[in-house]
Amino acid sequence: METRAENPNGRSPADGTKKLGKQVEKVGHTAEQVWDRARDGFSDISDTLDLKGRVDRNPYGTVAAAIGIGYVLGGGLFTPLTGSLVRTGLRIGLRLAVLPLLKREVADIMESIAEDDGKGHVEAGRGQANKANANKGR
Amino acid sequence: MEMTEKIEETAREIGARVRPQIEDARRRLSSLNSSATAYIQENPGKCVVGAIALGYLIGKLAGRRG
Repeated sequence: METRAENPNGRSPADGTKKLGKQVEKVGHTAEQVWDRARDGFSDISDTLDLKGRVDRNPYGTVAAAIGIGYVLGGGLFTPLTGSLVRTGLRIGLRLAVLPLLKREVADIMESIAEDDGKGHVEAGRGQANKANANKGR
Repeated sequence: MEMTEKIEETAREIGARVRPQIEDARRRLSSLNSSATAYIQENPGKCVVGAIALGYLIGKLAGRRG
């Protein structure tokens, strides 16, 4: 008499369970591998970014860079606000760069004017002295 | 002469009155700076993620306005 029920394809339920167990084991192994790789990748990224070192060296700069990244991700790059920020930054930068140059130029010009003026006074003084001498001679 | 002396005296008085406040403000700013730096250095991940979120919000708001 037949005690074990057989599938129409000739396989027993015990075979199916064994196969399922093997597949579950395989899936578990694959998941473990994926997790390991993800962890390695994450540690590689964190090593490359060196977040801790960066924050230790320049805390405010790192936070500002993060705000910038978020701003770009939020789609704020091509907006009027970016335009006005860039314009303001350029204006301030130009002022900071140009003002010392302008100051130096103005100081040079003033110096040269003062020198010319001094020479003029000396020459005028000489002319007057010559005239006075000529008058005395008469 | 009297006027100049008066002005000098007033300036000196104002300086003496304002100097402690400036010193106090400088001390407070310095302490705020050191505590902020320490907090960022202790919680780098939190600060960076928060900063990215803040930037994202600002970018979203700017995009909506534009």
